[in-house]
Amino acid sequence: MIFIMAWRNIWRNKMRSIVIMLSIAIGLFAGVSVLALYEGMMKSRVRNVIDSEVGHLQMHNIKFKEDYDPRYILANGAGVLTTVKGMPEVKLAASRSIAMGMLATPTGSAGVQINGVIPGLEYQVSQLQRKIIQGRPFDPVKKNEIMVGQKLAKKMKLKLRSKLVLTFTDTSGNMVSGAFRVAAIYQSDNAPLDEKNVYVNMEELNPLLGIQNAFHEIVILLKNDAAVEKMQRELQQKFPAYQIESWREISPETDLLVKTVDQYSYIIMFIIMFSLAFGIVNTMLMAILERTREIGMMVALGTNHVRIFLMIFLETIFLTLGGTPVGLFISWLATAYFNKQGLDLSGMGREMMSSFGFGTVIYPEFPADKIAGVLLIVAGTAFVSCLLPAIKALKLLPVEALRR
Amino acid sequence: MNTVIDAHNVSKVYNKETIPVYAVNNVHLHIERGEFTALVGPSGSGKTTLLNLIGGLDKPDNGSVFINELDITKLSTNELIDFRLKNIGFVFQSFNLIPVLTAKENVEFIMLLQHIKKSVRDARVQQLFRQIEMSDKMDARPAQLSGGQQQRVAVARALASRPKFVLADEPTANLDSKSAFNLLDIMAKLNKEEHITFLFSTHDQRVIERARRVITLVDGRIVSDTAAVSTRHEKADV
Repeated sequence: MIFIMAWRNIWRNKMRSIVIMLSIAIGLFAGVSVLALYEGMMKSRVRNVIDSEVGHLQMHNIKFKEDYDPRYILANGAGVLTTVKGMPEVKLAASRSIAMGMLATPTGSAGVQINGVIPGLEYQVSQLQRKIIQGRPFDPVKKNEIMVGQKLAKKMKLKLRSKLVLTFTDTSGNMVSGAFRVAAIYQSDNAPLDEKNVYVNMEELNPLLGIQNAFHEIVILLKNDAAVEKMQRELQQKFPAYQIESWREISPETDLLVKTVDQYSYIIMFIIMFSLAFGIVNTMLMAILERTREIGMMVALGTNHVRIFLMIFLETIFLTLGGTPVGLFISWLATAYFNKQGLDLSGMGREMMSSFGFGTVIYPEFPADKIAGVLLIVAGTAFVSCLLPAIKALKLLPVEALRR
Repeated sequence: MNTVIDAHNVSKVYNKETIPVYAVNNVHLHIERGEFTALVGPSGSGKTTLLNLIGGLDKPDNGSVFINELDITKLSTNELIDFRLKNIGFVFQSFNLIPVLTAKENVEFIMLLQHIKKSVRDARVQQLFRQIEMSDKMDARPAQLSGGQQQRVAVARALASRPKFVLADEPTANLDSKSAFNLLDIMAKLNKEEHITFLFSTHDQRVIERARRVITLVDGRIVSDTAAVSTRHEKADV
């Protein structure tokens, strides 16, 4: 009966209840949209990191990353690469030679990471070809071609076919240089990486480094994101002398972002619901004030405090949860639409977005896995909102309430 | 044991800090089972206050109220709520039905609070609505009922859980003559059929005439009680 009474009570003032339910729905829509946007941004960021930056896993000589000394090649790299490629979970594996050096043009110089790649494989493993905004992929015939990021090209005033010199140390510690010509300018969603990384053909870098057919890095793409930890353990057992790192370790800032953004989005959700709680409290206080005599009469008749509290709590829950399905449905609709169409945030500035490693078009994803948490926040809001009105109602003395 | 209400030396004082006003002053009251008693007096004479004290809605500043030999002035707030639920039926002056419940649900409400089985509840509701002659209005909301009909439902609700007694504060105050007489007839009939004690405050002469005992309050004191007169008459008749 208390349940029925609570339900009917909220419809005594239809307009007031609908307004509060709508405000909950709008608040929830805003909160869930933020969650969906973050979810989409994070997934796109992680996808970028995996698909076009570092892959799922990377293998190095255990000493290589200490100071990127080119001497520390992957021993028996070719054999390891073949083994890795043969593993059923592995989708793609590619080798890279790496040198830390200086890029010099007639107008200036900049420190860069020189990646010696096998073009055909690199195009698949880091989608390098897809990122080209000017020029063309490596020509299989032409020699000494280089691909530079747009940010670096801008900084060094490089254009297509510009000449530049790369200087670095070889495995014997000697300074070596090579002249290259810009074949393509690429742009990824991560401007800092574009500024730092240049790509040359491995066949041309290795002789300069003095490592011939060896290489420093194996980049692995898996068929399934969830298999990263398992594969990392497996590879580490198989090749204990190598350093096996997952994308989380190679790009810790992305991992941190993914971990913290969940907390941020819940905090935003909490703030939205907290401000809505004031509206609910106000509505419930008004309802209690209007029904002072009625509540006093109920207590006089023998309705105990638990039942009065329950009635007010249920009313608050109904008011709060009444707007919840609407809010969730609108959020789902909006998310589904923008998930297909994409949400173009280029107005916020492509450079700014890419400086944080994000693309300008975000595909929000309905955060289905977070809905339980959202509902918990909503229920918590309802509970907290009912406390003040309930205390007010419980403090009513029937003899005084009946006089009103 | 036939004594239902036994008030000893009961006083209630307002404005204790400034100018004390005795709403009820040293009242002794003794009501037996099955009585149909009117508490009369002018406005401000303390009728409602005395009913509130007897009903456990308020606590006296002095004295004790025994209901079935239990001193209710010693009960805690929660114990009083439970006591009222199980022992007292209330009919208030304004039509205090719960507006969101139907007439039937209003009557059933008290029994639900007492966890009475559905079959028992249903039977009792049917019986009460027959007694108040409103079987056709069971599903109506209070707003769809006239004032008199609402008060009849309130009486049915007060009797639903077969309380020890019913306290009615000015039950006919807002009713026209016809509705008032109708309500009094029903109360008298239920008093007779169910042997439930009725104590009601009123300054309505129509009600006073129907009461079998009339207690008059003036300035918080009982100035007359027809019980003594009746007893004398009964003795004379013998």
